Order: sequence, then structure tokens, then C-alpha cells
Amino acid sequence: MKKYTIKKPAGGLHIVHPQKFQIDYKNELNKAQYDAVTSINDPHLIIAGAGTGKTRTIVYRVAYLVELGVKPEHILLLTFTRKAAQEMLRRASILLDHRCERVSGGTFHSFSNSILRKYSNLIGYERNFTILDQGDAEDVMNLIRTRLKFDTRERRFPRKETLYDLYSRSINTKASLTEILTIDYQHYLEDEQDIRKVHELYTEYKITHNTMDYDDLLLNFNKLLKQNEPVRAETSNHFKYIMVDEYQDTNKLQAEMVKLLTYKHQNIMVVGDDSQAIYAFRGATIRNILDFPDDFPGCNVIKLEENYRSTQSILNVANEILKRAID
Amino acid sequence: MTLRHKYSKILFTNKSEGNLPQLIIAENENLQSKFVVQKILELREQGTHLEEIAVLFRSSFLSFDLEIELAKANISFRKYGGFKFIETAHVKDMIAYLRVLENPRDVVAWNRILLLVDGVGPRSAEKIIEDILHRRADTSISDFWKDFNRYPHSVTELFELLKSISTDKFPPAEKASRIITYYHPMMKKKFDDHTKRKKDLEMFEQIAERYKDVGSFLTDLALEPPNESIADIEAVDRDDEHLTLSTIHSAKGLEWHSVFIIYALDGRFPTMYAANNVEELEEERRLMYVACTRAKENLFITYPINIYDRESGTILTKPSRFLEGLNDKLLEPWVVDEEG
Repeated sequence: MKKYTIKKPAGGLHIVHPQKFQIDYKNELNKAQYDAVTSINDPHLIIAGAGTGKTRTIVYRVAYLVELGVKPEHILLLTFTRKAAQEMLRRASILLDHRCERVSGGTFHSFSNSILRKYSNLIGYERNFTILDQGDAEDVMNLIRTRLKFDTRERRFPRKETLYDLYSRSINTKASLTEILTIDYQHYLEDEQDIRKVHELYTEYKITHNTMDYDDLLLNFNKLLKQNEPVRAETSNHFKYIMVDEYQDTNKLQAEMVKLLTYKHQNIMVVGDDSQAIYAFRGATIRNILDFPDDFPGCNVIKLEENYRSTQSILNVANEILKRAID
Repeated sequence: MTLRHKYSKILFTNKSEGNLPQLIIAENENLQSKFVVQKILELREQGTHLEEIAVLFRSSFLSFDLEIELAKANISFRKYGGFKFIETAHVKDMIAYLRVLENPRDVVAWNRILLLVDGVGPRSAEKIIEDILHRRADTSISDFWKDFNRYPHSVTELFELLKSISTDKFPPAEKASRIITYYHPMMKKKFDDHTKRKKDLEMFEQIAERYKDVGSFLTDLALEPPNESIADIEAVDRDDEHLTLSTIHSAKGLEWHSVFIIYALDGRFPTMYAANNVEELEEERRLMYVACTRAKENLFITYPINIYDRESGTILTKPSRFLEGLNDKLLEPWVVDEEG
């Protein structure tokens, strides 16, 4: 016999009449901020200049989504540090109510970690994998370098730091080893095959010993979602509204993560300022924010330009510094 | 490569015009430091708390001289950017013990703690690790720690410790505490400044108190390390106000009433390195933009001249190219004058 139960329509938002909102969004925000906060579905890019109330905007948007009836668990907020996410959610909770504390928030790395702990067996890891920091990763490189007897050669072979740097950069920037060597380490071009060998063994080593380095957290997240349609669908369906802060300082793997996460919907808002991109040395690429409208067609761009922090004299100097930028 | 497009924007505010930002030349590095110290004291007398003041710089080493002058003037400060708590050798040792407990196949961690044991060198460490991995490849974690007795006494001692704390009955802080007791004699041998480091370990134990299981503790340490070693905190009385010293990277997103940018000297900011590459140069420019926009009311940009650059063999004398030639009505030029 068939069993009949009732459930709420999937993904449906309550239609809340503006007058019923607890928060007076229109009065508490300026025009651009209000537009950002109330733009819900589809891709949005918020260009937030320094001191223009970026955090405030994110906090209000979290509250707005929750007021609309989106389940807090279905909202994902990715930030540059975990402290930033905690702070924003704390402020949203004060602004609206404690529901906002249940919003999922963290860094790309901590978010990947939480998903990987659930599904690590699908990509050949046990759940109790440990994480190698940069120093540990370099030590492993050294171990392999010695094991392959590259330490006793006549010619100079890259040191462990260089081996790791080459590895991490080729992963983060998705550039080939040949490219990176040609640009920065011309003198090691001849050793390319041997460097590749070290990197291969390094990759094997991590799997055999149930460890991941920082890049692996992102790389394996993408691998997991790419190779497993059910996990991809489940994850994307779960996180229905995604926000990313400091988008100008994300790397290529993170941009890829965003695409995978939004594949069931396009409800993504990234916030950032291309003029404040300062993490290229760690593999971040300003291209992510510049190319966002191409990566997400139909994207709506909103600019926050009213500054609440500095005097006009200070802003004049800042504006002038940017004006002389080389295009 | 040129950027296909940028998002043009011009910041504006309803706040007052305010004081003109200043560009200040000092004849040498120490004069720069002395000027900054004096100006900070002045601001403080006028009612700006030290909490509301920051000194920012391109690279961590650029503040060394200033740090000495601040200490002389009895101004407490906290420094951000540069070495972190988690990167210190003794804290890394602690983490390695916890890591083998969590994941007995973590060879890097094994290697680290075995090398600490008396009489164990790289070769015997490797042998022991091989033995561990082969003999116990298939055992579950709870069985893993049983029956270690074929090793030299000093190694057995390590296994005894690990075995005794491998149970889930102990919370992470208890495990950390027992490891510290075991580790302390080794630390005494290994480091001259072990008393100072001991405090870091106490801090480590204190942080562990917040966790229910070792796994999440380790994950947090790896992903969100605590910002500073106690070495930095120690200089500061907790109730006392303190000034912020920070690299620009670490100042991201923050703001202060008054901001100093020191060493705005071409060759230091932008660095010599960056000057050869348009992309890197533009990133340095954005860094200057980030630094300036941290200030709410006062912005002082200083640079010393007559700085010898070893790598290029030249003497650096010019202000940062991002500021050079800026209209006097935007950025007021000043020179530090030493009197009396």
C-alpha cells in the first residue's frame, strides 16, 4: 500500500512581505549595499572598495536569507580566515536571531576538510588522515630526494624548499612544471624529469601514509566532486546559497571549487576588491575576480564606493595611487 | 600581460576633509624610528589610545630598529606577520606526538619524535618506522599500541608513553600534559632558551583544553594556527594598552585612527625584486593602497634615506615610486629635523 506524507516544496522560499521583515534593510543600508543584500538568486559580484561596509553587507545578507526562510544549514559562507566567518555569523545572530549561528562558515580549507572527512574513502583515504603543513611537506620532499640519491650528485639539485614550492605552485596555479621552471628556475630546466620523479613519489607517499598537505585539501575536494556525481549533486543541493568573501585573493583551485559547488544552482555571491589583491605570492590570482562575469554568465555587478572609514584627504591619496596603475 | 578589464571605482565619503596625509623624509633609519616614537607619544597625549595606532611595513624585518626604540620608550606593542607559534620547533614536536596517536601511519611525525629519542639516529629511526609500518599495517588503531618490547629501552619508553595515552578516555589536554612531562628533559637538552619555550607548551596545553578529541584539535592547529608565540605576548601586560606593528598583509581588513607606513622607500617598498616585473609591481601598488586605506584620521608615511642595498650595491634614497611626484596638496612633504 502506498504511504502518503506531506513535505515542504523543495527549495521554496516563503514569500515574505517586506513590511513583515524584522529588520529595516532599506533604512539601515545605503542603496548599493541594499541592492547587494536583496539580490538572492543567480550569480552576483560585489566590488567592495576599502571601508565601504563589506562585512556589514555580508552580515545583513545572511540575516536577509534567513528571514526569507532559507534554512541556515543551506547557506555557506567562505572567508579568508575562520575568525572572519565566526565574527560575521556572530554579528548576524545579534542582528536577527540565533538561527544565523547555524549557517555553515569557514575557510575553503576548513570547509574542504569537513567534507573530506565524510567521503575520504571514495578517494582512497581513511577518515583519520592527518594534515602536513609546509615544513612537514618539505621534510617529505627531502626524504624522497635522499632516497633517490639526488643529494649526492655532481650537479646542484633543487633543495627541499624549492621542490615543494615548485610542486605547490604547479598545483595552485595549474601551470605546468615546465612553465614554472622556464620563468623562475631556468637553471633547473635540465633536471625537469628528476623533479617530476620526486613529485610523483611525493604524491604516492601522501596516499600511502594517509596524509594530505594544504593543497590536497582543495585538490581532493575537487577530485571527489568531479568523480562522484552523487556527492557533487548532494553537496550542491545542500549548499543552496553560497557567499565568498575576499574573492580577489582566491586561487584557481578555489575558483574551481566554487563552480563545482554551484553546479545545481547558480546562487553565488562573491565579494571582493580587485584593487586589494595582494596574495599572488601564495598562488592567488586576480584573474578569478576579473573573470567572474565570464565564468558565470548573467552575473550582476554591484559596486560599493561610499567609504565610512577614512577622511576624504586620505581617500584622495589612495585614489591617486590607484589611478597611476599600469594597465 | 595586460588586464583585460578592471573594475573602476572612486571612493568617496561624507566624512570631513581631515588632516592632510604627510610624507616624511628621515636622514637615516634610526631617525625614522625616533620620529615615529615621538609622534606616537604625542598622539597618545592628545587622547588617541595606543590601540588606535598602527605601524605598517612591507616586510617583517623593516621594523626591527623601531622595535628597539619602542622598548626604550616603554611603549608596549604586538607584532603581526612573521614567525608563528605553530612554526616553532618545540610546538611542532608536540604536534608530532599527537599526530602519531591520531594516524599511526604518519611517517613524518614518527621520524620527528624518534629522532628526539636518545641514541636514535636517522638510520635507526627509518628501521623502526619500517618495522612499525610492516608489522602493523593491518591492525586497528586500538591494537596498534600493544606489545612494543623489542626496541632499545629509550624507544620502549616512548612507546609506553604513547600506549598509555592512546585511549580515548583522556581528553586532548591530558594527553598534551603527559607528553609535556615526557618531553621536557629533551627540550632542556635541545634548546638554550627552554624556560621561555616551556611557556609556549603551557599555552599549548591551555589551547588543548578547548577540544574534546585530538583529531579536531590537530585539524584546527593545521588550518587555523594561533597567531603568536608567547614570546610576543610576554612583553605585554594584558591590561596595558598596546600599539600594533604589522606587515601590510596581516593588516588586511583592519583599521586604526592613526596609521604609520614606514620604509616607503623605493627598493624596500616596492622591493627590488618586484621592480623588474609589471605584475609584481602592480601587486606592490595594491599593497600600498591597502596600507593607506587602513587609516581613519591620520596617515603618516615615512622613509629613511641613505640606506645601502647589499644585493644591488646601490644606495636607496628615493621615496616609493607609488608616491613620488604626488601633488603637495594631496600629500604634504616634511623632513625630520633633529634638534638639541
